[in-house]
Amino acid sequence: MNTKLVTGDSGVKRWFYQRLTGIFLAVLLIVHFAVMHFTGTGETNYQIVEARLASPLWKTFDLAFLAFALYHGMAGLWVVIDDYVHRDGWRLLIYSAAVLAAVLFFTLGAVTIITFRPHIVWFPPKV
Amino acid sequence: MKKNVYEPRYRYHAGTVAWILHRLSGLALILYLAMHIWVIHHLNRPLDFNNIMAFLNEPVFKILELGLWGVIVYHALNGLRIIMIDFFTRKGAAVQKQMFWGAVVLGVVVFAAGAIPFVGTMIK
Repeated sequence: MNTKLVTGDSGVKRWFYQRLTGIFLAVLLIVHFAVMHFTGTGETNYQIVEARLASPLWKTFDLAFLAFALYHGMAGLWVVIDDYVHRDGWRLLIYSAAVLAAVLFFTLGAVTIITFRPHIVWFPPKV
Repeated sequence: MKKNVYEPRYRYHAGTVAWILHRLSGLALILYLAMHIWVIHHLNRPLDFNNIMAFLNEPVFKILELGLWGVIVYHALNGLRIIMIDFFTRKGAAVQKQMFWGAVVLGVVVFAAGAIPFVGTMIK
């Protein structure tokens, strides 16, 4: 039985946020799926993504999607680890590794979205 | 002396299956999310990105993508079922098994709605 890594809170916040982010993700997913597969030809290439990601609105959308999905996934993973890994040391090790991976992937995703600069030339330079 | 360990006996019913599938689909989606972020980060090199996209157009990935759609639809609809169990406190838990089958039926419809046009563009 785990004793040391119990935080003392009832977990009601985590429980509530899991449901809240779940609903957000369902809504974002509908938009994401519709845009990816029901507009245009259904194929994905650089030019198509570039046109979309040129807009700050889509950048915001993608960032929110990334953050919610990673949060929701990590909170879910915590519950799974909590259920099956009972030794404090293993629990700490596995969950730390997962959190580290999540932070790295969030950084990778966020940097990709934020620093993306479209190659489309909206205003061609005058010669 | 018998060790004082709680050994639950599970009765498998629709709710149990729903729970197991929710867990497995959730873990699969974490794995997919990581791969998705990795692939998309190649956007900073347009040529690489298009090469990867062309590679992912292979039939095997298209079939995997179809599987991904199924996993997502299941996880989303069963997630809504869990929310209804939790928040409709008077009725939710009492009809959780019916809601599972409701989610399955609705899931098949939603899956088909996404999969049919998808397969359509795949064959083209």
